[in-house]
Amino acid sequence: MIEVKKLTFSYGKDKEALHGLDFTVEDGEIFGFLGPNGSGKSTTQKLLTGILKGHGGQVSLFGKDIGAVHNQEFFQKIGVLFEFPYLYANLSAMDNLKYFSSFYPENQLRDAEELLEKLEFKRDFLKKPVSSYSKGMRQRVSMARALLGNPKLLFLDEPTSGLDPSGAVLFRKIIEEERGKGTTVFLTTHNMQDADLLCDRVAFISGGNIVALDTPKHLKEQNSSRSIAVSYLYQGKREEKSLKFSELETGISFPYDEILSVHSGEPTLEDVFIRYTGRGLAG
Amino acid sequence: MASGKFFSMSLAFLIVYTLYVNFGYVRFMDAQLYNVYLYDPAGEQETVSASVRRVSSKKELKKAILDDTNSVGIDASTGEPRLVFYEAAEETDRHRADYALSLLLPAGKADTRVIGSRTPEQRARKEITCELLFFEIAAVGFLGIAAVLFKEKSMGVIKVHAILPIRENVFLLSKLVIFLLSDLIFALLLTLLNVGAASAVHILPGVLLQTGLLSLMMALTGLVCALLLKDFRQFTLAYLVIAIFAASPVFLVANTAVKWDWVRFHPFYHIYMGLKNAYFGTDAEGVYYYLGYLAVIILLFLWARRVFCREMRREG
Repeated sequence: MIEVKKLTFSYGKDKEALHGLDFTVEDGEIFGFLGPNGSGKSTTQKLLTGILKGHGGQVSLFGKDIGAVHNQEFFQKIGVLFEFPYLYANLSAMDNLKYFSSFYPENQLRDAEELLEKLEFKRDFLKKPVSSYSKGMRQRVSMARALLGNPKLLFLDEPTSGLDPSGAVLFRKIIEEERGKGTTVFLTTHNMQDADLLCDRVAFISGGNIVALDTPKHLKEQNSSRSIAVSYLYQGKREEKSLKFSELETGISFPYDEILSVHSGEPTLEDVFIRYTGRGLAG
Repeated sequence: MASGKFFSMSLAFLIVYTLYVNFGYVRFMDAQLYNVYLYDPAGEQETVSASVRRVSSKKELKKAILDDTNSVGIDASTGEPRLVFYEAAEETDRHRADYALSLLLPAGKADTRVIGSRTPEQRARKEITCELLFFEIAAVGFLGIAAVLFKEKSMGVIKVHAILPIRENVFLLSKLVIFLLSDLIFALLLTLLNVGAASAVHILPGVLLQTGLLSLMMALTGLVCALLLKDFRQFTLAYLVIAIFAASPVFLVANTAVKWDWVRFHPFYHIYMGLKNAYFGTDAEGVYYYLGYLAVIILLFLWARRVFCREMRREG
């Protein structure tokens, strides 16, 4: 679906934002693009969606070179959710969606009301102006806008931003459903939980370079200390011990009266990210 | 997407202008004839109209003119009638002088009458309607489209269009068509309501053509300004510049005794005169006028397209 080779981009002289990225995104894959602010992830997404022009290297989308692909037909096949919910504040959710749907061929359009219902949008607000909506409600309308044209390739920038925990769970479910239908998802996020739960593969980008690319599971396994931490009671005293996986093959070798807890030493995706980039996602 | 407020504002202006023309301007312009005072101590003027008021001294003549500043004094004390005004303005005084002197001619030699349908009221109606329409499109409409665009810009919705299956040219044209239609309807109604249906029928094609050209030019200028400038405050400054340097000299030259030869080089003067000529049914514009207009509209469209694309791709 997406093939990127030695992608470079400069905002001006001596301001190279991307230093030769290489990655591919398979059909029907959820691909996470993770990086701190200013790392180049938004630039990459903008190049892929045709918002930015003037890159170096080779990029192909839907099997065609990026230079030839950014036409009306391409924009009919993609859906983009921006980081901020850009909507007409004086219009209602329905009017916004009616307006945006007017740009797509009718035969590929999804029902706007059904989409909003799926996104658990409050019905009472359907005809009220967007200016009266909470951030979460605006995000729901924006997501509906991104899905309106039944896209084959979905670019999502911080999809769960501004949502409460149940809203975030719902969005993840919807993204999974889209993938289930064969949609490819390019997810740009700070949210490690989203990336961990949703993505088939993630790329860590830092300073305009991809520093790691693999499945979240592999990345965590590769960076695991391969040990567990055991808390237990022995002769009335609480003790803790770290055990290598190899030590477990023969069972628990130390004396104990009661095991209180067992924690795997597997790092979180954020720990792995910090290990590769030397800084957290917020930086 | 055009705002409903913009169209409500246009409707409100249409009502205000129509009330002003019909109940204010036309009545105000319908002034009484000038009083004419004659000082003729030797009684040498033999065929003086009954409308002329005689005075017995120069002092009395001066006092009459001071009390009735719109009047005309004739001092015939030297044998040759000499005109005296309270204040002078070239066009008006020529008219007043002709009228005053005509009253010294034998009856029937210099009677005034209405020629054709161009009554003074009709002329006044056309003049003021033309001025209001020009003002509405060049200043108010321009402000309206910019306000709408600034709102869209602040909401960030222009950015969304970068990833929609649109053709930028067609999209921009669709925006312009809304404002163009609004201005054409405005011009049609304003002309019908203030010039009258009978006179309007003959001049409407020309008026609508000039309105359409001006509307396109101003809508594109408003669009470029709104997309190019950072905020409405910056736009207000640009608006002042356009109002002061573009429209003011034209209004001054066209409607007052001010004479500036250089105004011939002022593009807005020709645009205003194009509209005025259309109202008076004279097609004085040559092919270069229309070619110039077309060139400006095409250049502005290309510029608008460029800044629109830039705004779609802007960070933030």
